[in-house]
Amino acid sequence: MTTAEVAPRRGLGTSPRRGASPAEVRRRLTLTGFSIPAIALMLLVNAYPVAFAAIQSVHSGGLVSLGPFVGAANFRAALTDPLFLHAVWFTLVFTVAAVLGSWLVGFALALALRVDFPGKALYRVLLLLPWIVPIVVSSMSWNWLTATRGSLLPTLARSLGFGEVLFLANPVLATVTVCVFKVWISYPFMMMMMNGALQGVDVNVYEAATIDGATRWQRLRYITLPLTARSTYISWVLMAMFSVNDFPTIYLLTGGGPVGSTTSLVVLAYRSVFQDFQPGYGVAVAFLTTIVLVIVSLVLFRRIRGSHVE
Amino acid sequence: MAVEVIGRPADARPDKVAARRRGRFARIRLSVVVGVITIFLLGPVFAVFWLSLRPPLRSGKSGLTLDSYAVIFKQTQVGLWMANSLWVSLISTAIAIVVAAPAGYVLSRGRGRAAGGFSVSIFVIQSFPVVVFVIPLFILFSGVGLVDSLAGVAIIYVAQTVSVACWMMSAYFDTIPISLEEAAWMDGTSVLGGFFRVVLRNSLPGVLSTAIYSFLLAWNDYLVALVFIRSSYNFTLPIGIQTFFQLNQTDWGPVMACAVVMLAPPVVVFAVFNRFFSVGGIGGALAGR
Repeated sequence: MTTAEVAPRRGLGTSPRRGASPAEVRRRLTLTGFSIPAIALMLLVNAYPVAFAAIQSVHSGGLVSLGPFVGAANFRAALTDPLFLHAVWFTLVFTVAAVLGSWLVGFALALALRVDFPGKALYRVLLLLPWIVPIVVSSMSWNWLTATRGSLLPTLARSLGFGEVLFLANPVLATVTVCVFKVWISYPFMMMMMNGALQGVDVNVYEAATIDGATRWQRLRYITLPLTARSTYISWVLMAMFSVNDFPTIYLLTGGGPVGSTTSLVVLAYRSVFQDFQPGYGVAVAFLTTIVLVIVSLVLFRRIRGSHVE
Repeated sequence: MAVEVIGRPADARPDKVAARRRGRFARIRLSVVVGVITIFLLGPVFAVFWLSLRPPLRSGKSGLTLDSYAVIFKQTQVGLWMANSLWVSLISTAIAIVVAAPAGYVLSRGRGRAAGGFSVSIFVIQSFPVVVFVIPLFILFSGVGLVDSLAGVAIIYVAQTVSVACWMMSAYFDTIPISLEEAAWMDGTSVLGGFFRVVLRNSLPGVLSTAIYSFLLAWNDYLVALVFIRSSYNFTLPIGIQTFFQLNQTDWGPVMACAVVMLAPPVVVFAVFNRFFSVGGIGGALAGR
């Protein structure tokens, strides 16, 4: 699929060219018309707010009225604020844990589901549920499992002799719990992505390798992993973007606490604007996050593009 | 291992039979292992259903009942919140499809610099954190009376979906051979006619998976509704449930009954349209390329 496209791909030109026939002009006009609603909408609700946020981030002032111009003060305040630095750290931990954790679980399940066994189709459907259950619902359920002394897991920990384990009141444990929660929500995504990738791998390669005496581990290491590397890469980058963007998973389970230990960048931005009423600062935080995400998405885009022409 | 002992008796049985039997036992063993893992992973989901069937705290009953459901429909506005959520989700899905299908066609078929720029900007837009456009839109919307209004929320859902929806539609259009349209163009059909009569007519699965993606995004959203919705008669389900949850932390029965109400539509959509379900929207669109 990728190599066949070295020759110019067939399609419809959109760039103006001299000497185009009237039919060609009409085609281009149609395509332009096709894009206008989407462009208009995205300009209004995506581009305008980001531009406005850029302006707002260099002003002080309240939520509704813009204050005086303060230059880079908001950014300086953010970059020297221990809260912000902690949020960067937590976002990093959360993202790495989410990506690696969900990939390990999802990939293992995808590998298991490749073999034919009784009940496979049912399991495949059921295992997707954590992704489908609204986070509002699953967070309540995890709350019931972990939040208070009387919850299931603390009770279990007590009876196993671990003493009083407060999953959401201890900063380290709360971080771990939020990450595990995120992995639980996200592994179905990885399972589906890796499942799709595995379907593209030719089974004959395995037979040949087995005849040559490759062990199970060697087949995984030298055949499966390299042949699914592209999907792994795409799903890692996407999951990293989803995780950095993730507000409800964190906010609904811990609210960013205890004592700010699970406050990620987006939670910090939300709280600064809507709870502490410091929109300039909050928008600056959101804007910095956006810049990082835009860079990551451009890298991913180039990579996807690159595979079309190579 | 026990399985090996049964699978390989001492006498000289033909190798093949033994291997096949070993294979069958291995498969059953795998089925049991994956089954146990599935049950373990779904524990939090089962808990929701189980708790919703427990009697409410002050009722003094025991066993399993539907009392909690009676309580929430009588004492809360959960019916209204559900109607709000449904309305907002359906309308934003419809608009997202109408806007994204033609744009996705341009992404799929368009060649040249303009189309390339269009596709890169859409891709960048889908990576924006929701928080960054929620704040300025809050200010913009409060000027035009769209704060605390379901229409305002729907607009934002469309905005949140449309970039990914364009990509999903485009990925589906890529699977339709362009020679079909070329044949139609030869016969004098315009691009517009070719799009409707050839491409869109063959794209029902693509439209469905995009619609499911948009519907679930709107249905499950928490942040946008949290910022924009103020009055309880405008609550969507997530906000309504969350408010109810905060007031009744210890009375799990009714809280989880609300949760089941919220959980039901996504699960039904998933059960019915399983085949068209694309996990993670843009993920499926990218991985398929």
